[in-house]
Amino acid sequence: MITREDVENIALLSKLFVPEDEMDNLTQSMQEIVSFADTINNADVEGVEFDNINNLSNALREDVVKPSMPKEEILKNAPEQAEDHFLVRKHS
Amino acid sequence: MGQIAKIQAMLQNGEISCVELTKKYLKAIEEANGELNAYVTVTPDEALETAKKVDEKIARGEKLLPLEGVPMTLKDNISTNGIETTCCSKILEGYKPIYDAKVWEILKSQNAVLLGKTNMDEFAMGSSCENSCFGGATNPFNTDHVSGGSSGGVASAVSGDIAAFGLGSDTGGSIRQPASFCGIVGLKPTYGAVSRYGLVAYASSLDQIGPITKTVEDASLVFDSISLYDENDSTSVGKSETTFDKLDNDIKGMKIGIAREYLDGVRDDVKEAVLSAAEKYKEMGAEIVYFDLPALKFALPVYYILACAEASSNLGRYDGIRYGYKTTQSYEGTHDMICKTRSEGFGEEVKRRILLGTYVLSAGYYDAYYKKAQNLRGTIIKAFDDAFKNVDVILAPTVPMTAFKMGEAVSDPVETYLTDICTVPINIAGLPSVSVPCGFNSKGMPIGMQIIGDKFKESTILNVAYKYQQACPENFKDTKWGVKL
Repeated sequence: MITREDVENIALLSKLFVPEDEMDNLTQSMQEIVSFADTINNADVEGVEFDNINNLSNALREDVVKPSMPKEEILKNAPEQAEDHFLVRKHS
Repeated sequence: MGQIAKIQAMLQNGEISCVELTKKYLKAIEEANGELNAYVTVTPDEALETAKKVDEKIARGEKLLPLEGVPMTLKDNISTNGIETTCCSKILEGYKPIYDAKVWEILKSQNAVLLGKTNMDEFAMGSSCENSCFGGATNPFNTDHVSGGSSGGVASAVSGDIAAFGLGSDTGGSIRQPASFCGIVGLKPTYGAVSRYGLVAYASSLDQIGPITKTVEDASLVFDSISLYDENDSTSVGKSETTFDKLDNDIKGMKIGIAREYLDGVRDDVKEAVLSAAEKYKEMGAEIVYFDLPALKFALPVYYILACAEASSNLGRYDGIRYGYKTTQSYEGTHDMICKTRSEGFGEEVKRRILLGTYVLSAGYYDAYYKKAQNLRGTIIKAFDDAFKNVDVILAPTVPMTAFKMGEAVSDPVETYLTDICTVPINIAGLPSVSVPCGFNSKGMPIGMQIIGDKFKESTILNVAYKYQQACPENFKDTKWGVKL
C-alpha cells in the first residue's frame, strides 16, 4: 500500500516537489502502478540470472588523450555562467 | 519502388532539382503542420543549403550516395548540432546541442536533407504523442485520432508525406507503435546495431534508434546506412551484413512462428488481419508454426519497472545548472533550486515514471521489484532464444488495437501502458522487429503487424516484410496530405 508519506519520501529522493493539491491523485495513481508492477511477484516461471543483452561486454577504448570541447561551447547552454564556470547561486 | 529510390531517380534524371523538391516539402509542411502538428522545429535554411550542394553535385555528373538529397526528419530527442533538441519537454526549452548524434552525422555526411525535428511524447514516455509539451501529433488517416507514440511526429510526417523518411527511437515500441497506427513501416533494430551516441537517454538498456518509412525498401536502405560501429556507444556492435540485397530472397520453406500468447486480448479486427497475413505467407510457401511463449505474460510489468528505474537515473542530470530550463521562482539553496526546476520543467507522466523508478530502486523494494524484474528479463530472453531454435521469424500484432481518439489515452496510466503489450518484449530481449501495415479496420484506420527476428537478423525480417508488401500493396496507402511524387 502506497501512502502519502511514501510519495513524499520518494519525491524528495527524486528531487521533485509535489504540490499539495496533486498529492491525493498522485498517491492513487502510484498505488495503481505499483499494484501492476506487483504482478511480477506472482510469476510462475523461474527467474534466470540476467547479466547482459546479446552477450555484450564492456567496450573500452584506447587510453589516448583527445581534444575536448572548447569551454565557451560547453557553457553556451548554461542558464547562468560567470568567469568560465557554471554559476550556481546560494539564493535567488 | 520506395520513396528514396523514386526521389533519387527524379533527381538524377533532372526531373526536379533538389532545391525545388525541398521547397515542395517545406510548402507541404506549411500547409499540413497546423493540423498534423508533426514538426516542432522546421529548418528551411539548413535544408535548402544542403539541397543546393546536392544540385551542384548532380550538375558535376557525380553519383549520389544512398540517402543523398532525400528530404527527411529526426525525432526531437536526436541531437543536432546548433538545432534545438527539446525531447518535447519544457526542461530542455531552447537547448541547442553542441554536437551531432552519430546517426545524424552519418546522414549529414550523405547530404540527407533535414527538414526539421519532429514531435514526440516528452522524453519518449508515452503511447499517443500527447505527452508532448507542444501537444500531440495527429494521425494523417484521421486527424481526430492520435499518431501513436512516442515517435508520433516522425510517423505523422512520413505517413502524411511531409518527410520521405525519418528516424525515431524505440524503448518499448516507440517506432513500431506509431508506424502501425499511421499505416507505415517502422524498424526497431537489434540492441547494439545502431549507435545511440547523441540520443537523449530514456532507458539505456532498451533504447534503440531506427527508421520510420513508407516502404520496406526505404527502411532497409536507411538501416544499411546507419548501422555502423561507433566507439562512442559502448553497446555498439555495428552490422554484420547488408539487408537491401536480400529483400527479394525466396521465403519458401521458411518457418514463421505465431506465439499464442501474442493473440490474447487483441481486438478481433487486428487478430483477423494478422492471421490473414499468415495465410498469405502460407500461399508463398512458408510454414506457419504455432507455439507457446508463457514468459510474455510478465513482459509489461518487467518493462515498466526496468524502464522507469533507468529513467529515474538518466533524468537525474536535469538540474537547471548546465543546460535547459531553470526555475523562475526564488529559491533557498541548490537543492531547492533543483527541485523547483525539475518540478516545473517535467510533465506529469515523466514525473510519475521518475517516482516509480526511484521507488523500485529504493532500499527495501529493490529485491522485490528491480532484481526480480531483471531475473524475469533473463527468463524472457531465454524464451525467445528457445523459440528461435524452431522458427525463423515470429509474426505478431504490433498493437492490440488501432489508433485511439485524441484525449482517450491520457486518463488512465495503467490502461495506456497496456497498448505496449506486444512491443515491449522485443526491447526486453534486445531483438529486431519491423512493423508493417497489414490492413484497415472498418473505420479505415490502419492495422500493423510485426515481424520479429533473432539478434542481428534484420536481413531476414526485412526480407519477410518485403515479400508481404509485394503480395499486398493495397495495405500501403497514401493519405490526402503532403507531396505526391
